[in-house]
Amino acid sequence: MKSHFTRRDFLKLAADALLGLAGVLGLGGLVRYFSFQPVSGRQTEFDLGDVSGYPEGSRTLRPEIPAVVYNRAGEISAYSLTCTHLGCTVELDGDDFACPCHGSRFNPEGRVLAGPAQEPLRRLRVEILEDNTVRVHTDGA
Amino acid sequence: MQRRLATIGLILLFFLGIRFASVTAEASPALQGVATATLESARPTQPPTVYPPSQADNGAQVYWGMCMDCHGDRGQGLIEAWRETFPPDYQNCWQSGCHGDDYPENSFLILGSGAPALAGAGKLTRFSNAFELNTFIQENMPLFPPGSLSSKDAWSLTAFILRMNDREPDGLTLDSTNSAAIPIHKDVTLPASGVPGALALVGVLILVALVYPVVANRKPPASDKRPARPDFVGHLHPPTIPALQSRFRYTLGAGGLAVFFSLVLLITGLLEMYFYIPTPEQAAVSVGTITTLVPFGSLVRNLHFWSAQFLVVTMTVHMLRVVITGAYARPRRLNYLIGLGLLVLILLLDFTGYVLRWDEGIRWALVVGANLLKTIPVIGEGIYQFAVGGSEPGLATLTRFYTWHVFGLALGAAILVVWHAFRIRRDGGIAVPPPEQRKGQGRITRLDLLRREVLAMVVAGILLLLFAAIVPAPIDQPISESGALSGDSRAPWFFLWVQQLLKLGEPFLWGVLTPVLVVLVLGLLPYLLPNAKREELGCWFPKGNRAAQVITAIMILAILVLTLIGAVSR
Repeated sequence: MKSHFTRRDFLKLAADALLGLAGVLGLGGLVRYFSFQPVSGRQTEFDLGDVSGYPEGSRTLRPEIPAVVYNRAGEISAYSLTCTHLGCTVELDGDDFACPCHGSRFNPEGRVLAGPAQEPLRRLRVEILEDNTVRVHTDGA
Repeated sequence: MQRRLATIGLILLFFLGIRFASVTAEASPALQGVATATLESARPTQPPTVYPPSQADNGAQVYWGMCMDCHGDRGQGLIEAWRETFPPDYQNCWQSGCHGDDYPENSFLILGSGAPALAGAGKLTRFSNAFELNTFIQENMPLFPPGSLSSKDAWSLTAFILRMNDREPDGLTLDSTNSAAIPIHKDVTLPASGVPGALALVGVLILVALVYPVVANRKPPASDKRPARPDFVGHLHPPTIPALQSRFRYTLGAGGLAVFFSLVLLITGLLEMYFYIPTPEQAAVSVGTITTLVPFGSLVRNLHFWSAQFLVVTMTVHMLRVVITGAYARPRRLNYLIGLGLLVLILLLDFTGYVLRWDEGIRWALVVGANLLKTIPVIGEGIYQFAVGGSEPGLATLTRFYTWHVFGLALGAAILVVWHAFRIRRDGGIAVPPPEQRKGQGRITRLDLLRREVLAMVVAGILLLLFAAIVPAPIDQPISESGALSGDSRAPWFFLWVQQLLKLGEPFLWGVLTPVLVVLVLGLLPYLLPNAKREELGCWFPKGNRAAQVITAIMILAILVLTLIGAVSR
């Protein structure tokens, strides 16, 4: 028996293939269109004023970061107050921190006292600038 | 032969020389301010001229001439380390008065904290984007005297400051229309142009248009039993229609094309909604983001813009066809009114969409359009507050216009489109004489009809893509709080005729009553004037409704003339 694949069948196939190609082109464009990341305005550096504002033994809450800043024996350290479970801001509870959302508890150094959080509160990098300004970085380690 | 080559070479060299000379000359006016302060050889030398100079290269020259003394060679600001490079006499001048001894005549005081640093992390935090930075530079710099920079120099400086911060967007010339989308503190990557993609799509569509008719023309062999029930698309069409109803010469394909453009508008509009932010501060910026930064964003936006323009034209042509062929006669009177309502809705959609840009280009159109509502007696004030959402245009106005555009009007238009299409079938298809009085008795199948529709769509799609790829939709700088900056006070083109009418006087009479009267007259045509007879239908200029044709032609002609006058006059 002869092949039934006529010229018309070929053209039909070609038309379908072209329409498919147009569809793929359009779909590719669509994927790229949605791949655009709007610029995040989140600040990653916070200048917290002069170092003298953090006397020895002090504990300062900075809700705008949010973070807690300690001065322990002259060394300034900072911990993020963002719960490592699902991102709520933990609240001061005595010397510890408690998460209002799901009840995780952390000690002053951020160690987990009670779940559901698994990871300790993130320690933030602190930098003392030339002019004695305390700068806290929320990105990186 | 060689002599000729030498001549050409000489001419070329001459012109190149002129170009170089003009580049150097361009930078020189900026240098006049430096003379006194840069005598010391320890100071940085003038940055080398680059050819062709980018915007930031020009900015580097201006910066070296006018800004560096205070802001530092690396944008470090007027810190001690930088002042130590000054000649001894000048090192402390920033406390007393700079640029000379005779303060204040020829010198100025550096204020408070000294000149701030311009580059590095944590600097320039008060500006969120290049547009704000440029506005500040233009209005406040140099300190002595403020506002003396040309707009071109200010933009060059903005570009250069972005470069100092390693945030220069490569291949983008900053200006008032795109800079609002360029953040200062974040890296941006400009997307590749959408034009090649659009042209590729056009190419594929052309191929489809070439191949498709051959394929779709297939007459099923006798043995090939076609399925008794058509698929969804087929179901939208009757099994066969009289050939008279689908003659392009008669219908102009305008109604179908209007549906096509509406679909394009729906899809592209949906895509735009993912990035558009309807607040006065962010609207123009987000439109700039779509246009400048989102991959294929400018293509999507241009498609939306151009299909909206084409839709107005197509619908007007469709309406004219219906009137001039007398097709609106009973039983199609209701459908004619539905179509007229659609035309009004689409004009309102175009206007609200136009306003959503919320840039300097729409400022006066919005003000005039809103104030026109106020001129309506008795109910005007109420309508104004309903439309504007307050006593003057603001956030509430934008929110309302946005809601009208993407939902209220769009939903209304969608319902009317479906109703319009339903009524076409219910009224016996496109207007033609009754069967016994038709000249041609042939019928075409739904496959044939579909083929013609697809062809028309492909051709229109190609045209649309070409326009969208080549002619960009307008966008201007964000609306300025401090007052109008843009000189363009023209209405959108589809309302240019109203703008011209408004010049005649009394705003309510010319700006509200006259347009409403035009729509009213069009709507009353089937009811007040003689209609075409049934046997006259299906061809142009039937005798039966001459009066209606003449009246409509006069109105449309007047609108056209007014639009043209509005287009050429400023």
